[in-house]
Amino acid sequence: MTPAHSPTPPSPSDTAHWSERATAAVLVLLSSVYAWSVASAPLDRVQGVIQKILYVHVPCAFAAYLGFALTALFGALYLARRQEIFDKLALAAAEVGVVFCTLVIITGPIWARGTWGAWWTWDPRLTVTLLLWFVYLSYLMLRAFTDGGERTARFAAVYGILGLLTIPLNYFAIDLFGGSAMHPENLERGSLGTGMGLPFLIGTLTAFAAFAHLLVLRVRVEFLRLACARAAQDREDLELLAGRTTKENPQ
Amino acid sequence: MNVFVAVLWKDLVCEWRSRDRVVAMLVFSLLVVMIFHFALPSDVAAENQASLPGLLWIAYVFAALLGLNRSFALELENDALSAMALAPVERGWIFLGKAAANFILFGLVQAITAAIFALVFRMGLLSIALPLMGVIALGSLGITALGTLFAAISVRTRFREIMLPLLLLPLLMPVLIGAVSATSALLRTGSTPFHNIQLLIVTDLSYLIFSFLAFDHVLDE
Repeated sequence: MTPAHSPTPPSPSDTAHWSERATAAVLVLLSSVYAWSVASAPLDRVQGVIQKILYVHVPCAFAAYLGFALTALFGALYLARRQEIFDKLALAAAEVGVVFCTLVIITGPIWARGTWGAWWTWDPRLTVTLLLWFVYLSYLMLRAFTDGGERTARFAAVYGILGLLTIPLNYFAIDLFGGSAMHPENLERGSLGTGMGLPFLIGTLTAFAAFAHLLVLRVRVEFLRLACARAAQDREDLELLAGRTTKENPQ
Repeated sequence: MNVFVAVLWKDLVCEWRSRDRVVAMLVFSLLVVMIFHFALPSDVAAENQASLPGLLWIAYVFAALLGLNRSFALELENDALSAMALAPVERGWIFLGKAAANFILFGLVQAITAAIFALVFRMGLLSIALPLMGVIALGSLGITALGTLFAAISVRTRFREIMLPLLLLPLLMPVLIGAVSATSALLRTGSTPFHNIQLLIVTDLSYLIFSFLAFDHVLDE
């Protein structure tokens, strides 16, 4: 009994969009290659097996950065174009980014405990990562505590853009504050041994594939939610209408 | 520009007639100072002055959060906020007017708190009063610029008193780091290295410009 203009509530059978199937296939393929390449990668001479956490830690960090950059980008696009899809994409990117950032913050201390002997140091990069995590948790909370779709989208877009802009400022500030740089150097400066490059590359690709798959699923959930809300609204309208007609014509 | 003066004047007159915001902020920050006195070992002031600048800025941030929350909450009465959004003016100037009023009121609270703080913790602030005022003004500019923008956001959310610190504190980190290190250096040596001031100026300017531009999207359409 849904009116013609509203989307029909989705049935469980037609949920998988082609993009979900594609990203899932790539993810399954890559993760098997990834598992094999990490298992067969050479052991680090100094650190031993714990060094292999790098193949999880750094790709997750890249995926988290990607998520936060996309949050700001889609937020800016939303403010410019005012199309709902950009807001949903920004939300999905922030949520998936927080998941990967959490993985970074969990895997980092495990490695640090084995190598530095301490779970945490206030190294600039560690501090900025923790701060990023807080910024995007606040972003998600802001969305949860704001009523009204359009207002939520505007507020979140402003905060998402500002969150990204402050990263260089924070990095500079914490560096200046005298955080000791214990964290290993960036990879382009050649801190990776021979035979470690390939598993690292595959790990990064796998993390990006996982990111894409989760992003697609998350956006889909948002659209299903929207469709359900519209369907519920339509039903309410219909019931109201039906109630009025019976009142007018009691027979 | 006229909008800026009008909003600033309106906020200052409102505050002058009620005087509730400044008094509340001041009493609160003095209470925080008193709590520090009891929370810390009694010799901390005499032995270890290094932690004092940090404590002073903690008291400032707490007071600022209180005042900033009120800054837009009072616009909700009689739906003045909607009237502001409807006014056919450049919204950035409304933001600057609100931020300037917050800056002035907050500065008043900061000056009195600093004087009391110096008295109770026996800090020699008089000899460095002028450069210290500069540092405090720079720090407060960053806090009020970003804080006014986020107050306008959080006033339209549920749990607005909680939302403001959650939004503000993570992004305030560079301002606080710059302000605390500049204040510490001033206390230790009587002068402050330029890179601290540079950090404060860069942060303040970027927050001011961003908030000026973004305020258009923060008020309801």
